[in-house]
Amino acid sequence: MTERKEISVALAGNPNCGKSSLFNVLTGSHQKVGNFSGVTIEKHEGYLDYGSYRIRFVDLPGTYSLTPYSPEEIVTRNYLIDERPDVVVNVLEGPNLERNLLLTTQLMEMNIDFLAALNMIDEVEEKGISIDVKQLQRLLGCHIVPTSAKKRTGIDPLLAHIVRVYEKDIEIRKNKLSFRPVIEEAVDEIAGILRREKDLQSADTRWLAIKLLESDREVYHRVQQYPVWVKVELSLQEAMREAAKLYDSDPEMLITEDRHAFIRGAMKECVRFPEERKSTATDYIDMVVLNRLLGLPVFLFVVWAIFQITFTLGSPLMDMLETLFAALSGAIEPLLVNSTLRSIVIDGIIAGVGGVLVFLPNIVLLFIGLSFLEASGYMARAAFVIDKVMHRFGLHGKSFIPMITGFGCSIPAIMATRTLKSPTDRLATILIIPFMSCGAKLPVYVLLAGAFFPPDVAANVMFAVYLLGVVVALLSAKLLKSTVLKCDSEPFVMELPPYRWPTLHSVLFQAKIKAMMYVRKAGTLILAAVLIIWAVSNYPHSEEIDRWAASEASRIEESPLSAVDKKAETESLEYRAQSLQLQHSFAGRVGKVIEPVIKPIGFDWRIGIALVTGLAAKEVVVSTMGTIYALGQTDESSAELATILKNDPSFSRATALSLMVFVLLYIPCVAAVGVMKKEIGEWRPVLLYSAYVLVLAWLLSFVTYRLALVML
Amino acid sequence: MYMKMSELKVGDKAEVTSVKAEHAVRRRILDMGLIKGTRFKVLRVAPFGDPMEIFFKGMYLSLRKSEAEGISVHKIGYAGDGMPMSCDKEGRSCCGEAL
Ligand SMILES: Nc1nc2c(ncn2[C@@H]2O[C@H](COP(=O)(O)OP(=O)(O)OP(=O)(O)O)[C@@H](O)[C@H]2O)c(=O)[nH]1
Ligand SMILES: [Mg+2]
Repeated sequence: MTERKEISVALAGNPNCGKSSLFNVLTGSHQKVGNFSGVTIEKHEGYLDYGSYRIRFVDLPGTYSLTPYSPEEIVTRNYLIDERPDVVVNVLEGPNLERNLLLTTQLMEMNIDFLAALNMIDEVEEKGISIDVKQLQRLLGCHIVPTSAKKRTGIDPLLAHIVRVYEKDIEIRKNKLSFRPVIEEAVDEIAGILRREKDLQSADTRWLAIKLLESDREVYHRVQQYPVWVKVELSLQEAMREAAKLYDSDPEMLITEDRHAFIRGAMKECVRFPEERKSTATDYIDMVVLNRLLGLPVFLFVVWAIFQITFTLGSPLMDMLETLFAALSGAIEPLLVNSTLRSIVIDGIIAGVGGVLVFLPNIVLLFIGLSFLEASGYMARAAFVIDKVMHRFGLHGKSFIPMITGFGCSIPAIMATRTLKSPTDRLATILIIPFMSCGAKLPVYVLLAGAFFPPDVAANVMFAVYLLGVVVALLSAKLLKSTVLKCDSEPFVMELPPYRWPTLHSVLFQAKIKAMMYVRKAGTLILAAVLIIWAVSNYPHSEEIDRWAASEASRIEESPLSAVDKKAETESLEYRAQSLQLQHSFAGRVGKVIEPVIKPIGFDWRIGIALVTGLAAKEVVVSTMGTIYALGQTDESSAELATILKNDPSFSRATALSLMVFVLLYIPCVAAVGVMKKEIGEWRPVLLYSAYVLVLAWLLSFVTYRLALVML
Repeated sequence: MYMKMSELKVGDKAEVTSVKAEHAVRRRILDMGLIKGTRFKVLRVAPFGDPMEIFFKGMYLSLRKSEAEGISVHKIGYAGDGMPMSCDKEGRSCCGEAL
C-alpha cells in the first residue's frame, strides 16, 4: 500500500456553530458539545482516513473574529496564523448566518485555502429560511457545503470538497472584499511601505496593513521591530486623520462597517427569510425562564431539582448496589480461609472500593442533570439571570457557567474559565470554583445525610450544603475582589443561543462515559488508596495487645459470670482490643497526632485520617472511613458503613453535619490543585488559597458542630 | 428620538447610531454585528434590572446596562411586548431583512 497523503484541516467558526459536533462526526471522537459559547477551550486533533488521504482535523475554540478577545480565542487565531493548516473549514451557523459571515470576511482577506460548511442546515430548513448557496459561493469566493452535524448529512460532500480545495481543484474564483477609498488607499500605501522591508516581503502585506489599521495589537508588535515602522506609523496617523475628517470615525470602525455592508449585501442577495417571523419555542420558554419575577425562582428550582433527582432517584438504585455488595462479601467470605486475605478483601476492597462504587447511580444522575443544562441552552440564561447578583460580589455572569460545571468536576470547570477576558476575574473564579461542591464529594453527603436524616429531609440537607458552598464562593469572591484582585471588571456581552433538545443518544452516551470514568477511578486510584489505608491501619501489629487480650479473655472465662454475661464481656473486650490495635497502627498514630486539632469540630482520629487521604480524591474520604470502620467491627460480617456510623456512639448528627461542611470547604483533590497551579501559573496563590480554605473549613465546621450540638 | 441604549424600555425598537466604549469592548460589540444602522428590539431586562436582552439579525444578545451606555441609538418605535415576533412588516429589519 502506498503512503497516505496527510492533509491538515482546521475547523474554525463562531462559538456554538457546531464545530465540535462536526468534528465528532468526522473523526468519531467524543469532544464535549454544549449549547453555549465557549465549550471548547483547547485545540483537539482527530484523524480520518479518506480515500488516499489521511486527514488531520483540528477542532478549535470558537471565535467571533480574528481579533481575539479572551484567552481561548487567542488559541484559534494563533493556530490559523502561525500553523497555517492546509485547508480551513469555516463552519457557519446556518440560522445565524449574518453574524457568522464576519469571520468569513476575515478569512477572505487572509490568503488561505478555505471552504465553508453551512452547518445546522436542518434548522435552516425548519425555520423556512432559503439560502442561494450558488450565489453565496460566488460572493464569498469559496466552496460552500451544506451540512448537519445533528442529522449527519453533507459529510461526504464536505470531505470531497476538502480534498478538492487541497488539490486546488476549485471552480470558484477567490473574491476580495474591497473597502471604501480612504481605507483602500491607506492599505495600499502601508502595504507598499511594508514590502520595502526584506523580512516582510514574503508575508501577506495587504493583510498586515489591514490588521494595522484595525489596531491589532499582535501585528503591531510584529511590525514595530522593523525600521519601516516609523513610516508605517506616519501613514497610520494620516489614515486616522482622514477617517476622522471624512466620517467622524476611525479606520477600525470603517473597516468593520465595510465588512458588515458587504455581508448585508450578500444576505440581501442570497438569503430569504419567511414573510413573517413566527414565535419560536425559545421565545415562549424565555418568557417564563427569563421573566423578571420568575427568572430567579426558576433558576433555583432547576438547581434544586437536579440535586433532588440525584438523591431520590439515586437512593433505591444505591440500595440495590449495597445489597449486591453485601451478598458478594457474604459469598466470598467463607472461601477466604486466610484471615489476612479475608480482611484485605472484606474490610479493604469491598468496604472501601465497594463503598464508593455504590454511589455510581447518584453520580451518573448528577452528570445527566448537568449535561442537560449544558446541552439545552440554559447555561447562558443562568448567566443572564444571575449576572447582577454576581456583579454585586465582584464577579461576572459568565463566571457562573464554569461554576455550574464545577458541580460536576472542578478540573474542566477551572479550565473553562479561559472564556473570561479579565485576568483578575479569571483568577477569582478559579479560586472559588472548588467551593462549588463537585461530584466526588457527593458520596460523602449521600452517605452522611442518608445515615443521619430521614429520606425526605436528607435531600434538603444536601441541597443546603451545596447552597452553603455557593454562598462561601460568592463571599470569598467579594473578599478577593475587594482586596487583592481589585480593578478591571469583565464586560458582559453574551449571546443567548436558541434552546436545543439534547438528543437521547448524546445524553446517554455522556452518562456512559461518566459512569465508566467513575468505575475506572474506583478500580485504580481508589483501590490503591484503599490497599494503602488497609496496610497502614493494620500494621504494625502489637503482640502486647494480643497477649493482654488473651489474658483478659481467660480471666473472663474463669470468672463466675453467667454464660450471657460472659459473651457480652468477651464481645466488648474484642472491640476494645480491635480499637487498641487500630490506634497502635501507623494510621492510628498519625491520626492521634491530628486529633487534638479536629477534636473541637467533632472529629476523632479516624475521620482525621479519612480527611488526609481525601486529598488524593474526595471519594477516598468514604472509602477510608469504610475500611477503618470495618476494621473496627468485631463481627466479621460487614455491615454497611451507614449502619456502622449510626451505631457508633462517637458519631452523631452534629458530627455528620460538621464533616459535610468540612469536606465541602477544605482543600480540593491533588488533581484539581495541580490544574489550579497550571492555569494560574504560579504556586503562591494556590498555597495561600489552601491555607485560607483550611482555616475557613475549620471555623465553619466548628460553628456548625457547636450549633448542631445545641439545637439538635 | 436619540438616546442611549441603556435608556430604552422593554419593547422599544431602535437603530444603532454609534458605538463608543473601551477598545476591546467596542470590538466585541462590533463583532457581534451591532454596528451603525443595525435595528434591534429590547426584549427584556433580567430579574434585577440588569443586564438587558435585545434581538437583532435573528439572534438574542444580552449585555449589561454599563455596556449599553456606550451605544447611542435612535428610537424608532414601540412594539409593546417582549416577543421578537411582533416586529413584523416595518420592523422586519430586526429579524434579518434589509433595512
Ligand atoms: N440542529 C442542529 N444542531 C446542531 C448541529 N450541529 C451542532 N448542533 C448543536 O449546536 C450546539 C453547539 O454545538 P458544538 O459542537 O458544541 O459547537 P462548537 O462550535 O464546538 O462550540 P464552541 O466549542 O463553544 O465554540 C450543540 O447544542 C449542538 O447539539 C446541527 O447540524 N443541527
Ligand atoms: Mg466546540
